[in-house]
Amino acid sequence: MSTTTSLDRRRFLAVSAGTALAATGLSACAGSVDNGTNDSGSGKTTLTVMTVENEWDKKGLKAAEEALGMNLNVIIWDATKLNAMLAAKNPPDVVRGFGATETPYFAARDLMTDLDPYFSKSSVLKPSDLDPVNDVWRYDGKKQGAGPRYGMAKDYSQDSMFWYRTDLFQTAKLDAPSATEPISYDEWLDLGKKLVKRRLGKVKVYGLNATGMGVFPQLMGMTASAGGSLFTEDLATVDFSSPEALKALRWYLEYAKADIGPSVVNPNPDGWDGPTYQANRMAMSCNGYWFGGLIGADPKLAGVSRFAPAPQLGGNRVSSCFGATGFWIPRDAKNKDAAWKFFEWYFGGKPAQDRAASGWGIPSLKSLRPKMPQTNAFQKQAFAVQEQELPHFSVLSFTPYAQQAALEGVLNKVLPGAVKSGTSAGKVADQLNSRMNEQLAQGKELVG
Amino acid sequence: MSTEQITAPGAPSPSGETAARPGPRTGANAGRRPRSLTTRRAWSFYVFAGPWVLGFLALTAFPLGYALWLSLTNADGLSNNSRFVGLENYREVLTDPETMSSLARTGVFVALTVPLSIAAGLLLAVLVNQPIRARGLFRTLLYLPAVVPPVGAALTFKLIFDRDSGAANGVLDALRIDGVSWLMDPYARWVLVTLTLWGAGNTMIISLAGLQDIPKELHEAARMDGANAWQSFTKITVPMLSPVLFFQVITGIIAAVQSFLPLLISLDPTPRGVTSVPEGNYLFMIHVFAQYFANGRYGYASAMLWVLFLIIIAITFLVFRLSKGAVFYSVDPEPTKQSRPRTIGDK
Repeated sequence: MSTTTSLDRRRFLAVSAGTALAATGLSACAGSVDNGTNDSGSGKTTLTVMTVENEWDKKGLKAAEEALGMNLNVIIWDATKLNAMLAAKNPPDVVRGFGATETPYFAARDLMTDLDPYFSKSSVLKPSDLDPVNDVWRYDGKKQGAGPRYGMAKDYSQDSMFWYRTDLFQTAKLDAPSATEPISYDEWLDLGKKLVKRRLGKVKVYGLNATGMGVFPQLMGMTASAGGSLFTEDLATVDFSSPEALKALRWYLEYAKADIGPSVVNPNPDGWDGPTYQANRMAMSCNGYWFGGLIGADPKLAGVSRFAPAPQLGGNRVSSCFGATGFWIPRDAKNKDAAWKFFEWYFGGKPAQDRAASGWGIPSLKSLRPKMPQTNAFQKQAFAVQEQELPHFSVLSFTPYAQQAALEGVLNKVLPGAVKSGTSAGKVADQLNSRMNEQLAQGKELVG
Repeated sequence: MSTEQITAPGAPSPSGETAARPGPRTGANAGRRPRSLTTRRAWSFYVFAGPWVLGFLALTAFPLGYALWLSLTNADGLSNNSRFVGLENYREVLTDPETMSSLARTGVFVALTVPLSIAAGLLLAVLVNQPIRARGLFRTLLYLPAVVPPVGAALTFKLIFDRDSGAANGVLDALRIDGVSWLMDPYARWVLVTLTLWGAGNTMIISLAGLQDIPKELHEAARMDGANAWQSFTKITVPMLSPVLFFQVITGIIAAVQSFLPLLISLDPTPRGVTSVPEGNYLFMIHVFAQYFANGRYGYASAMLWVLFLIIIAITFLVFRLSKGAVFYSVDPEPTKQSRPRTIGDK
């Protein structure tokens, strides 16, 4: 037996490996403590909220913490970070999300908390007071709009409605769209072509942006208004070859080819319509009531902006919501009761009342609807149009087998080439069916 | 200090005999472990190397191993029904036209940007190495773009090359020339190449350090022998700089293969936005990101990364082989047995 004291390299590496794994485990534990239950020292609960960057400023955050009696650990919303945290089973306590397109995906993977028991006990958020939009946060395993509630919308809009600038209409000597009767998509495209302003090959003023919330949801809404459905009944496949979907696709190809507004061929570098519309560089913007919050904050813009009903592709008047932005509580969240307390404060307390009065979307509680702004002419017009549109609201089920990003990805891959080469809508539909259904099949295998 | 203490076990002793391992102690020292210099050195080595080894295991080996496991599954990171699929993902990587075309596009990008950025860096280094007034200022100005974070640089380029409101088209507009969709195909790839070259200050600094290491006597001797500036550059500067250039080739290739700039310069750097990267800029890493975070295909994307890892190793090996004879080392990097420095105890 050797008595040498030189450290054996194998043992060293083995010990190192063990220590490293232990360190990894420890860091995971540390992470859960960090995102977890109790705040160190103060005795207050720390709630981890994943939300957008401008949700609260420093003062707002402090006020929120005081109102809630807990500390808020704000994580900036990021899809990749959220997926990583969910995969590590160490999610935030409350997560911001798009109810309309995300609920089936996360619920089907059993990642969301069923909030029905909380709603049934709550004296602040009563089911009878919930606006029907909150149904997009429900999923029964087969379709959206039924089953347990997994989240709640902070506010919402009917996202195919559009805003237009009366000054640009006057310059082009065009009649403004009706405030009561929806125009057809063909009429809308024609208006866009007439309103666009070009100079030396560049678009100086966009005539129209036809998709404020993404191309795929817009095609869903268009197909529905033509009387069809983009998804098959089991939500496991898409069918762009149906006459209704083909009509929607053909319209979008024509719109992109006309180069009258942001599209998959020439996206808006601003990422959204706000700055472009505000800078007199867009005549019509397909965004719902929420966009009025931006317009209302600028008196000059409010003076020349008006709201119009969602255009229709066929006789079935549909005006859907593609966002219904709100919050949900992950199944593995550490502080569910505290998260619900946050829900009651955020969706039913002062923040909800302030939001309702701001014009940034329709409140998701019926009781808050009277607070919607109706002071000046612009607000009165927008409110009246919105009121008339509400009866046409419907929930369009999104698939649980893929995220919107994946389906938008296929559109972004297929459509630009098709527009440039002038490929027929039928062939484009076949390509979209093939590629999207392949992805949906992979998702279905995982969900089971 | 005894000879035994300073001679490594198995190494020749001053007398030419192989040193024996220290045997068991007896008497007063019985039971006590001897603390030789070798042992102390070994401990020092392990103590200093330990943190790195731990870091390597936790942050490199473990993630690599986990990614290897993922690559053999159809996992999406969120579902509980993922299963082992064997080498199916690797088969798909090698047969998927979109993956292969993104790989080919990456190859072209590497072949274009690596030589260009090294050449640009060398040119700038030669220029700012001249004895001119305000040389430090020029060096600083040329290096500045390399200090700008890639995200900031990409955002700046996005604004400059915007079709409808960018400065580039503003210039064309002033010249009464039609505007161009710079950030779309087929121009997007050239904007990307320009952005890559804009950061050539990095290679400039490395080349400049190499240039300043070349003995001035060599150039003076060449000049006295009648060599002109070009001959001096090609026959002295470049060979003397070849190890530095070789380093830049290797690191440049590895960085360019993993380039993520197209996503930063794209319109919306999110999983949704990644798919709007123009076809010409749709490099391999962009495709990997899209598979991970837009399509939720963790298994497939992990297989893609493993394939890329192997490709990088293969390219590095190939470049090393091809560089033999082309790189001039003033110090032999691989000493032969005859020239190897003697160990302690050698005479």
